[in-house]
Amino acid sequence: MRRLVSLVAVLVVVPGTAAFAAELDELLEQGQEASYSAEQVISCATPDGMRDALVRIEQVGGELQLTSSVSGDVEVTAGAGGWTITSDEGLLAQATVERGDPADDELYVVEEEGAVEYLGRVAMAYLLVRDGEPRAELTIDDETGVVVEAVTLTLDTEVYCERRFVSLDTETPEIDKKSGDGVGDPPTPVETSSLPESVSGFELLDQYEDESGVRFAYYSDGFFSFALFETPSAVAVPEATPVELESGDYLRVFTAGQVTYVWETRDSGMALVGDLPPDLHQAVLAEMPRPEDPGLFRRWWRALFG
Amino acid sequence: MIHPTEQISAYLDGELHGSELGQLMDHLSRCGKCSVELEQMQFVRSAVRSLPVLELPEGLISQADPVVVPLRRHKAMWAGVAAAVVVAAVALAAIVTPPPDEVSLQQLNSLIGARSTLDPAFGPAKVSISPLVGE
Repeated sequence: MRRLVSLVAVLVVVPGTAAFAAELDELLEQGQEASYSAEQVISCATPDGMRDALVRIEQVGGELQLTSSVSGDVEVTAGAGGWTITSDEGLLAQATVERGDPADDELYVVEEEGAVEYLGRVAMAYLLVRDGEPRAELTIDDETGVVVEAVTLTLDTEVYCERRFVSLDTETPEIDKKSGDGVGDPPTPVETSSLPESVSGFELLDQYEDESGVRFAYYSDGFFSFALFETPSAVAVPEATPVELESGDYLRVFTAGQVTYVWETRDSGMALVGDLPPDLHQAVLAEMPRPEDPGLFRRWWRALFG
Repeated sequence: MIHPTEQISAYLDGELHGSELGQLMDHLSRCGKCSVELEQMQFVRSAVRSLPVLELPEGLISQADPVVVPLRRHKAMWAGVAAAVVVAAVALAAIVTPPPDEVSLQQLNSLIGARSTLDPAFGPAKVSISPLVGE
């Protein structure tokens, strides 16, 4: 939250934008502390067709819990600087996040679009502009500060993904936490990396490594975000389709709200998962390690020694 | 009755003399089977001898000269066999050793979904956690 505040406050170009940014920040900060339950529909118009999902959201006192009502087998809990993922088998992963300093050169300018009605409640609409192009529209419940609708846009200002609440209950829900009995050690934050610190306006915020050697680096530009995974083995994406970009050949699969690119370098498997529109994804991939056939011997070496 | 096949062949080669030649002639006069065999063998021999004689191409003999193989070549052969065994063992180990567990898309989605919930202010607006491929 503080990062966004500083972001929009520093680069005020249009008179009034700072006021809108401050107003937006205040609402969002309020939303982080709100208690509510909601159902969210995610609908994305991807190059491979529509991808839809329904997610159950519950938040109490800054702790957020999400459950996919489609699969129902994975739950995410986040809050107080950390997150956990649980399933019926117990704890799958958890980590504590040490937030770095806010970026000096924030990318987004906030424009207010006025009051609207959403789910029979008063809400405020905002437009986020990056590099002069509108990239997202946010609708925020005026009473709770919760983002009830977020629409991300392509470079041609077409709707890419829409996340909207179809129900919102401001009664405090009871969060039923699952057992924290672990199945393996949680990923640990790591300090050093050969990955770039900044890519197309996205900054490397933090990174982790789990017991199996999977490294996970998290990047954000203040609104969109992606994770870059370096894996000892290939990422299993049987549904993926080949896609040829300027930076090389990849496998790609769209899910509701996210897209995954998978490729191999000489040393590891790679996957990039993010909620970016296609043009930003391609810009990021162009600055990442390029696809490269590791060769038969290296595949064998990886199979033997990881 | 014993049929003297070997004597017939020796007769055609001009190697029978004296009493042996007399005994064969006496047998042939009484044995139709051996008489027929003699005629067939004579026919085959004359047919083979009537084939044209071909001259060998120049240089063929020198190319066909036998090469003396030194005994130490056996050491190199065994070294090659040992190397092949090692390579085969490594290949077999690579095949039978299970590769590291593959990372599932659901796992990746969940991880970034979890991390995204801590993004400044935009948690519920960004997160998707479900393995919804193809749905």
